[in-house]
Amino acid sequence: MSFIKKKDMIAMLLAGGQGSRLGVLTKDVAKPAVPFGGKYRIIDFPLSNCINSDIDTIGVLTQYQPMELNAYIGNGQPWDLDRMYGGARILPPYVRGKEGEWYKGTANAIYQNIPFIEQYSPNYVIILSGDHVYKMNYRWMLDQHMKKDADCTIAVIEVPMEEASRFGVMNTNENLRITEFEEKPAIPKSNLASMGVYIFNWPTLKEYLIRDEEDPESSKDFGKNVIPAMLNDNKRLYAYKYLGYWKDVGTIESLWEANMDLLKEKVSLELYDPRWKIYARNGNLPPQYIGRQARMRESHVSEGCSIEGTVENSIIFPNVTIKKGAVVRHSVVMSSTTVEENAEVHYAIIAEGVTVGAKAEIGENPEKDVIPAISVVADRVNISCGTRIDAGTVVDRDL
Amino acid sequence: MSYMGLIYSYSDKENLRELTSTRALAALSIGGKYRIIDFVLSNFVNSGIFEVSVIARTNYHSLIEHLGSGAEWDMSRKRGGLRVLTPFANKEATDSAHIYRGTIDALSNHLHSIKKSMADFVVLTGSRILYTMDYRSMIRAHQDTDADVTVAYTNHMNGTCRVPQGSPMIRMDEHKQIREVEIVDEEQEERECSWCIGVCVIRKTLLESLIADAMSHQRYDLYTDILQKLSPALKIYGYEYSGHLLEISTISTYMEANKAMLDPEFSAKVFQKTVYTKVKDSVPARYGPECYVENSMIADGCQIMGTVINSVVSRGVHIDKGAIVKDSIIMQDTEIMDHARVEHAILDKDVIIRDGREVIGHPSYPIVLPKMSIV
Repeated sequence: MSFIKKKDMIAMLLAGGQGSRLGVLTKDVAKPAVPFGGKYRIIDFPLSNCINSDIDTIGVLTQYQPMELNAYIGNGQPWDLDRMYGGARILPPYVRGKEGEWYKGTANAIYQNIPFIEQYSPNYVIILSGDHVYKMNYRWMLDQHMKKDADCTIAVIEVPMEEASRFGVMNTNENLRITEFEEKPAIPKSNLASMGVYIFNWPTLKEYLIRDEEDPESSKDFGKNVIPAMLNDNKRLYAYKYLGYWKDVGTIESLWEANMDLLKEKVSLELYDPRWKIYARNGNLPPQYIGRQARMRESHVSEGCSIEGTVENSIIFPNVTIKKGAVVRHSVVMSSTTVEENAEVHYAIIAEGVTVGAKAEIGENPEKDVIPAISVVADRVNISCGTRIDAGTVVDRDL
Repeated sequence: MSYMGLIYSYSDKENLRELTSTRALAALSIGGKYRIIDFVLSNFVNSGIFEVSVIARTNYHSLIEHLGSGAEWDMSRKRGGLRVLTPFANKEATDSAHIYRGTIDALSNHLHSIKKSMADFVVLTGSRILYTMDYRSMIRAHQDTDADVTVAYTNHMNGTCRVPQGSPMIRMDEHKQIREVEIVDEEQEERECSWCIGVCVIRKTLLESLIADAMSHQRYDLYTDILQKLSPALKIYGYEYSGHLLEISTISTYMEANKAMLDPEFSAKVFQKTVYTKVKDSVPARYGPECYVENSMIADGCQIMGTVINSVVSRGVHIDKGAIVKDSIIMQDTEIMDHARVEHAILDKDVIIRDGREVIGHPSYPIVLPKMSIV
């Protein structure tokens, strides 16, 4: 009796990224577990995209600080991924024979899980990363992949030419066939940046993974090794142009910016769409309470919050308390943080479980239209009454 | 020892007008994102009781839709779990309210299901009066006194002497054994007494035989025909509950119950333990550039562009620019458009108040707009 059913396409989600440029925010969690947008974590986006694209089998590859991520994904129920056949599976590196082995690169991580993928004998495998915030229908990408009879399709997004050198850049012909792939080129020839989303024909990918594994010179990476090898063999690689909102929230500034993007009148990342919900694990908290002296302006506030102070242009996560006279402006305040009376928070990211003491001041309220450096307070830090923290400071211990 | 819960999802003692004409009482929205059944079920979850049957009577569509498999209350189980007991067709019933001839008849209707359970004890509760109780302490008291039936009572309603209409009043001896049960169905004055909050604990086998016995004598009501009539014969004990209460019997008590949750101290008590509900995956509430919000409870998925004062606002409600909502309860997905005004009103689900319209009730008589009304 077989406990596995054949699947047309399964997803492999690379969720082991450390996200070192996020500093204290990824001290104890992997980047995909970083909170975003008032109630989500970054990984909710690729997971929800999968389920909304009818992909119900997802291997989640973890490595760096997996505990919180494992607990968060659990049995996959919040994303409707608790399935009889398939669903979400956490795939940590494990010990084979006598020796354990970490995932040595993105390609090696998939290589090590060939047996997992083979169980479903899929025609296609989509490789995703847990590092980006975007809404995308992977089926549309698969449609193009099939239409072009491609071996591999890489999702690309147009970026400003001057920024292209930060990305893996695709050079294509007029039919979108990829002729050249350059990782972070000094002088880019095109502005089509790889989004880190690949669809492969599974038999082809498997062959290349095995070959890449045998090459001692290889750094076992999709962008650096597997894709160039396929191009070299004249395989059919195509770019799929994605036109929506996509953001790599890899730095403090970009994380803050992406949160602020949600507040714009004309939202670029529409989270209200009932046909494309972003699912998240839920904390079972009561509705938010807005008190008698609260002032609310252009903000998103989540469940379980109690707001007695002023909140402007900010994203407030669940279970946050903002007391009387406190002011929070242009900031991201994560779960279960308390901002005590008359404290002020400007242009900051405050992580989970922080206490900002009475009359403490974080960041500065600049003259109009100048965005100062973003201050960051790490999780569970206590900032005592009256403390003054300058703009751009990162606080990782009690003050 | 194992326990099961039985919940009456309706009440003969409520008069909630349009609010319960199309849904069971237990499916009525309360506290912004909840339905009454959430508070009732969460008591069981938080007491470690994961076998619960909900007795449905009429219009249980929204109740069943809300409960689903019970997974959101952690009650989608192989052993026990959540079950909705819908009535069997009854030729004698002349109208929907007479599907069950009384609370015992309802149990008798589902006796088969009750008998099938492996539980030793049953915790019976209604949905009209909400409380937060760990049933384990009540069950312990039940076992300590070696009672046949233990009935939860209270001496006050959140510090006042009001007795909800139709709630049985009891007199006990010094050992808390109940000696007298008085049921007054008319409007009551405030009086100092002990009254039942609608919960009792009983050994399942005893309940089964009491049901069979009452049915054979054509006695159909749990309180009058068992507790009142049998109090001399059975050992019926009181168990004091002294916490907060929410009564949902009439439009005004419903309004009061919702508004009580706006008091942070009171709501801290109500939400001291997790109250579970169906997850809707709505986005965080969004506040616009010109909004004004004061002393209100706002659920996820709302877009608040106008003014909200002293109100409870459910999930997915839109309050547009210049609109004013005061002293009101606004249910799920309702939209109040530009410059409309809503005061002392209860707007059911999917209501639309168009630009500039006014819906103004009186504190003593709030206006109720049924589901999908358009003004």
